Amino acid sequence: MKVIKHHQRLDEAGATAVFVAHDDPVVLRESMLAGLSCPFPVLVDADRSSYEAWGLNRASFARIWLDPKVWKQYGRLLRSGERIRTMGTDTRQLGGDFILDPQGVIAYSRPQRRDDRPPVGRLLTVIEHGTPSS
Amino acid sequence: MRSVPPQTGDTAPPLRLPTIDGQSFDLAEIRGRHVLVSFLRHAG
Repeated sequence: MKVIKHHQRLDEAGATAVFVAHDDPVVLRESMLAGLSCPFPVLVDADRSSYEAWGLNRASFARIWLDPKVWKQYGRLLRSGERIRTMGTDTRQLGGDFILDPQGVIAYSRPQRRDDRPPVGRLLTVIEHGTPSS
Repeated sequence: MRSVPPQTGDTAPPLRLPTIDGQSFDLAEIRGRHVLVSFLRHAG
């Protein structure tokens, strides 16, 4: 949800964002949305039917929790001042980022393989210029 | 059978869900602009 910090840049590009979560709204408000003013819709997909329709599956336990990159990432976040929050209901569910062009065609597709996300700058570059930065 | 994520050039699958505030949302209704659709992994 780092893109929230760049919502003005999205606005200037004539774009918007939508977040989809599968956790209970109460859990969402107490965790990732706590203290956050999100200018974009946050959708709740309790049965994960949309996750499935968009091809986003569950990872194995090992792929998520035995991956050193995941622990390095958490270490970086904690050092940067992030606090430990309540985990969601299913930590093995994978997410993904997709950018749709104005006609509703996928311009960028990046399903997660583990706990990885593309840099926000890459997403913004696709929106502003149509191609990902290298 | 596992579904496959949409690839560049594919038409986006439908996305009709309630918002966290209980309102209805349909992705098709905001066509005409670039949209970042970000599926979150979990609430943590």
